Formats: sequence, structure tokens, C-alpha cells
Amino acid sequence: VYLARRLVLAHFWVAFAAFTVAIVLGEWQMFVRSPLHSWVDNPEHYYRSVTAHGTVMAYVFPTLIAMGFGYAITELALKRPLVGLRWAWIAFWLVMAGTVMASAPVAAGKASVLYTFYPPMIGSAFYYLGIVLVVVGSWIWVALMSINLRVWKKENAGATVPLAMYGNVAGAYLWAWTSIGAAVEILVLILPVALGFKDKIDAGLSRVFFSWTLHAIVYFWLMPSYIAFYTIVPRAIGGRLYSDTMGRVAFALFLVFSMPIGIHHLFADPQVGAGFKFVHAAMTGMVSVPTLLTVFTIVASVEIAARLRGGKGLLGWVKALPWKNPMMLAVTFSFIMLGFGGAGGIINMSYQLNETVHNTQWVTGHFHLIFAGAIVIMYFMVVYELWPQLTRCPPLPERLLRIQLWLWFIGMMVLTMPWHLVGLLGMPRRMAYFDYTHPALQPQAWTVIASTIGGFLLVLSTFLFLFILARAGHSTAVPAPFTFSVAVHPHARTPAALNTFGLWVALMIGLTLINYGFPIAQLALLEGTSVPAIPIGGR
Amino acid sequence: MRVQGLYSWHNPWFRWSVASVGALTVVSILVGFIWLPSVHGDFTAQGIWASICRAAGVPDDWSRADKAAAEPSPSTAVVLERTMARTGSSGAIGRGATLALQCTMCHGAQGMSVSDAPNLAGQYAEVVIKQLHDYRRGNRSSAIMQALSANLTDPDIEDLAAYYAYLPRARTAPASYSNAVPALVRVGDPMRNIAPCISCHGGTDQKFGTPWLEGMPVGYLTAQLKSFASGERRNDSHAQMRNMARAMSAAEIQAVAEFYARQGGAAD
Repeated sequence: VYLARRLVLAHFWVAFAAFTVAIVLGEWQMFVRSPLHSWVDNPEHYYRSVTAHGTVMAYVFPTLIAMGFGYAITELALKRPLVGLRWAWIAFWLVMAGTVMASAPVAAGKASVLYTFYPPMIGSAFYYLGIVLVVVGSWIWVALMSINLRVWKKENAGATVPLAMYGNVAGAYLWAWTSIGAAVEILVLILPVALGFKDKIDAGLSRVFFSWTLHAIVYFWLMPSYIAFYTIVPRAIGGRLYSDTMGRVAFALFLVFSMPIGIHHLFADPQVGAGFKFVHAAMTGMVSVPTLLTVFTIVASVEIAARLRGGKGLLGWVKALPWKNPMMLAVTFSFIMLGFGGAGGIINMSYQLNETVHNTQWVTGHFHLIFAGAIVIMYFMVVYELWPQLTRCPPLPERLLRIQLWLWFIGMMVLTMPWHLVGLLGMPRRMAYFDYTHPALQPQAWTVIASTIGGFLLVLSTFLFLFILARAGHSTAVPAPFTFSVAVHPHARTPAALNTFGLWVALMIGLTLINYGFPIAQLALLEGTSVPAIPIGGR
Repeated sequence: MRVQGLYSWHNPWFRWSVASVGALTVVSILVGFIWLPSVHGDFTAQGIWASICRAAGVPDDWSRADKAAAEPSPSTAVVLERTMARTGSSGAIGRGATLALQCTMCHGAQGMSVSDAPNLAGQYAEVVIKQLHDYRRGNRSSAIMQALSANLTDPDIEDLAAYYAYLPRARTAPASYSNAVPALVRVGDPMRNIAPCISCHGGTDQKFGTPWLEGMPVGYLTAQLKSFASGERRNDSHAQMRNMARAMSAAEIQAVAEFYARQGGAAD
């Protein structure tokens, strides 16, 4: 990395500092609601903690990772200095300011509304303004990614955009469009109430706008991990990428299908018609296609690595894989968690099956497995991969890396599997305490202890991660140039559709308007749908 | 790289992606709006167009059939607005103090009751406003209060509320909600769907429209909880108190009332 070294490093440090605070809060939540602790005296403290945990983990942490990794990709893949470094720093400080501005009212108990906002609950205006700042900072990043690609294209007319940059810009465009939902919700519906100009809020419409953001944001979180799957994993384990085209198709499909599906979060909401719920459910099914493509492509790439190392037989090649390589371990863990989480997701998107798991711990289990499991474990690997470039440190100790990854994987499985189980039994989510003396609940008490232990392993893993980075040290030696995976057929012609974004962005916007336009217009025009706001922590 | 040739039916990428996304959309709309509703009697009872409208979330009639029979009389006509909680002007407080002379017999000279009538000193303005409106409209019943409120105008009610909100309120709750406090007050009972008292009545949070309870007479609190439980009192707009009280035993009602009524921690 040339110019943006300190910039990327700043993003990663702040992201993981916030992450560490939030994960300790998460474990505290697990502990106080387990039988190991008496009921938390003030349940509001619990929801304060949930709000902080969710806000950091959903908005601050993945946004900073995507931004930092995006800047690194721009320089490493396009092989030219980042354009707009000053703007990138402005964006970084906006995100920082927003984080502080949002955290202060949460810590003070003035905004315990959870990161999903849940109008008619209304918290301190500073909380929402802080989140707006974080999002505005990330919009600068979106613009920078687009501008850098344009500049590069001008200099390299007719050349194929490197796959990493293609995925990176796809993620940026996806985020630009999907963040509009929550932005409209905050700016148009929530802030006028939070600032005291209005008493009432249209909670149903707010929820529809939030669902616009709520599902596609997951794919924004996921993009850095998928970029790592395609462009780092095959190289790191000594293989080749099975298909560069398939990577582009997957990124394009995420652009098209991430957005028009959010109403599957509103299956229980009466304000949305059943027809739209079905259409969104059907399209949610489509979004599993790019993930399946990715899994097949990466498994094929891994097989190539194994066969290059002398692996034989229908499945015998698995033994020949470089299992001591942390990247091999991480991608395996990631796919196992993605498999369980994805299967759970297909259950969540089905209207009828969703009825049985709606608002239970199952849902918490699902998104922790996907995001905190499959995605975050790849964030770790991205940071490990880039660290020698960023700090010029000697190679990281692989044994410690493996221990850290194992801890994360076991911790996440032990945390989320009991959640899935008790979710099926009906345990509600977002509870500050459970009455374990009740004969109906007593048999489930052990599961909460198990999850607490799982959470503890995750905290250990986090501290080990920080330890590895902190003691990596520096050397003056210039690191070997960073390389991305090479495809099996590296010079295959890339079709114009997969070298540009216009078609996919147009389909994304068109499909969103079809799937969201009518419900939003109808709810916005319907009279008498606003309800009195419920100020949180007002007195 | 022929980017300019991309947006044309001659380009297979364009043709196939637009056509397949279009086909997927049309098929899912047909299934979601026509085929699936067609198997539901209540969707198809009024024909295909009505069925499509219902699937889109726009029924031609929001509450079908026997409207008159279905509509129970509302439990309250008051919509709580945050403007109700505004601190009254000194004029309003003065007028309220004069009007309050007719309240002193039961509610005490300074709003601190010596009978089983509730204290009003320091009560939140929106609470007094709501209860007086409910009495006046017959949503809350009391031979005395309905008669007294009948002659009050809306500004009278606001002035009274401003006056009582201005008086200092009784403060009897402990500084921290430790294990010594009754469990229902502190943590509720999740398995019976009883929320902790302090999540609305002050302590953890003070929700708009919920009254200040500390220092209230035991007799008043138990009587109100019992009448919420029996459904005799039903002016809680979302049945929030009826649902809490119904699940409580007589002993629990007594314990909770005694907690809120105790005098400066010296009740024992």
C-alpha cells in the first residue's frame, strides 16, 4: 500500500476497538440473563447494552472494515495511489464523530431504542444524528470508490477491472442504495419527532423504510468476506480461482437481489399486504443463488489447490489440503457457519416457517452465525493478510492465528446452536431475564449457560486477535508486493456486462421500485396511521 | 469491450438478465397476488379485483360487515400529546390553585390526601388532564368526580393540571431498587406477562401518561388495581393496566400498593 497505509490502519484499529467494547457488552448481556447471575436489577441497563452492541456491530464496525478494505483494494488491485485521500480522512472523522455522538446518549440511557430504532419509541436526537454522520461518512467512501474506478478506467481504456475492485465497487453501490431506506426513515420520519417538532410518528411506514435497509445491509457486511473468498483465499492456500466470471456474476446478482427483499422482515406486520410479502419471499430465495455460486466456485478453487499439492480421488483430495494454513481453516469454518446460517435463513424467509421462529432466539442465532460467524471470521483474515502490508511486520505467528480461529469458530457454534434450539421451543429474543424457576423454563436453563460459555470463548478470541496484531512488531523491510488470486484461465475475455455496473444498478433500482414503490406510496398516503411517539429516557 | 453495445437486445447479457428478472417478477406477482389468494375464502369472497387489492394491502373496505356490532366504545377519548406536559405559566398555576379549592376536601389542602383519595401534589400534568377528561366524558366512573368534572372547561382542566404539577411531590421510593423491593415492582413476572411497575411509573423509565404513585394511599392503590382487574375501570387506552392487574393475586396487589404507599421508608 502506498499512500493509504495509515488511513487503512486507522479504520481497522477503530473498527476493532469498537468491536471489542461491543463484544464485551454482548457477553455481559449473555451472562446477566443466564442462571449464573441474579436478575439484572434495572432492565433498562440491559437494553442500553443491547442498543450499544447492535449499533456498533451493525453500523460502525462493518462500515469501517468495508471502508478500510475498500481503500486497500483500490491501491493494491488498481496499482495506483488512492485518489481523494483527504476526502477519505474527512469520511473517517465523520464516522468517528458519528460514533461518539451516537454512543453518548446510548451510554446515558437516553436512546435505548435498539439499533433497529423501533418507532414509536423515540430516543435522543443525537443518537440518530450520530448514525446519520456515520452513514454520510460512508457515502463519501462510496463516491471515492466510484471515482477511483473511473480514473483507473480512463488510464486503462478497455482493460478488465480487477475482480477485487469489481466486488468492492459493487459493495459500495449496494450500500449507497440500501442505506437510503434508513436515511429516509431517520431524516423524514424520526428526527422531526426526536427534535420535538411532531408528537406522532407513522410507525408502520418507518418499519417499511427500515426493512429497505435492514436486509441488504447484511450483503454490504458480507461483501468484504466474499471479496476475500474470491481474490485472496485461492492464492493464500496455493491454488487458483476456478472462475473469475462466476465471481463477477455473484457480485452482480447481489446488487440486483439484495434490495427488493426486505419485507421478509415484516411478515408479522399488518400494514404490508400479503402479496408483497410473497414477492419479497420469492426474491429472498433468489439471493441464495450468488451464495451457492460462491460456495461451489470456492470449493472448486480449493480442490484445485489440493490437486496441485498431489491430492487424488473423488474426495481424497481433501486430505491434501494445507490444513495448517490459517486461511484454509478460516474458509472452512466460514463455510460451515454459512451453511447452517444459510439453511436457517431459508427457513426465516418462508412465510409459514417464519411464524414458528418469529421474534425468538432462533433469529438471534441465525444472524450471529452468518454475520458474526461466517463474515467476521473472514474480516479477521483480511486484517491478518493486510497487516504485513500495513505495518511492515514480519509474518504473523500461524499457530496463534489457528488458535484464534478455532476459538472463534467453537465459540460461535456454542453460542448460536443453543439459541437455535430454544428458539424453536419459543424462547423470545430481547429479554433482560428469564424466570428459570418456572417449570416450563427450567429445562432450558442450561442452554443459556452454554451460550454464555460460547460468548466467553468469543471474547477470548477477540483479545487473542488484538494481542497478535499488537505484538506483530515492525520492521523496515519493504513487504513483498500484495497479490490477488489468479484465475485458472487468467486471460479469458470478460463480457462488458461484467466489467461495468450500469445494467445491474438499473435492475437493482427498477426491482426496488417495483417491490417497494407501491407499499411505501400507499402507506405514506394513508391518513390516520400515525401513533403518539413514546420518548425513551425522557424523564 | 463494447460498453456502448451493452444496452441493446442484441447483447445476450442484457437480453437474458432483463428478461429473466422481468419474468421472475411477473411470475412472483401472479403467484402472490392471484394464485395464492385464490385458495383463501376470505380473500376471494368479493371477486378477483378485491382479492388483488387485499393482497396489495388495500382492502376496499377496511372493516368489513357488521361494523356497529364490532366496535366497542373506546376506553378513552384522550390522545396523549407531549404539549400537555408543558410547565404551566404562573397565571395558569394561579387559576388552577383557585379552582383547586373545590378539590381540597378530599385531595388535601396542598394536594396531599389524608383520606383514600389520591395525592395530586406533583402529579404529571398530562395525567391530571387525561383523568379529568375521562371523568367528564364518562370513561372513568366516580359519583363525585364525574359530577365535579362536568362543569370544568378544557382550559380549567389545563390550569388545574398546571397547579398540581407545580406542587412538590411525595418521594418514598428507595434510592436503589434492591432485592428488598417487591419483585413485581422491580422485575415484574415475565412468565405471567406482568411488566415491572418501575418500567413505566418511574425508576427505570417514566412513560408519558403514567401517574406518579409514590406516597399514594394504600386504599386508593388497591381499589384501582382491583377495579382494573375486574374491568370496572377501563380508561387505560391499551388495556395496559387491566392486563397487568388481571394477572396479579390479591396478596400481590396488597404488597405492591404498600410499597408505593410507604412513608419515607418508615412503613415497617
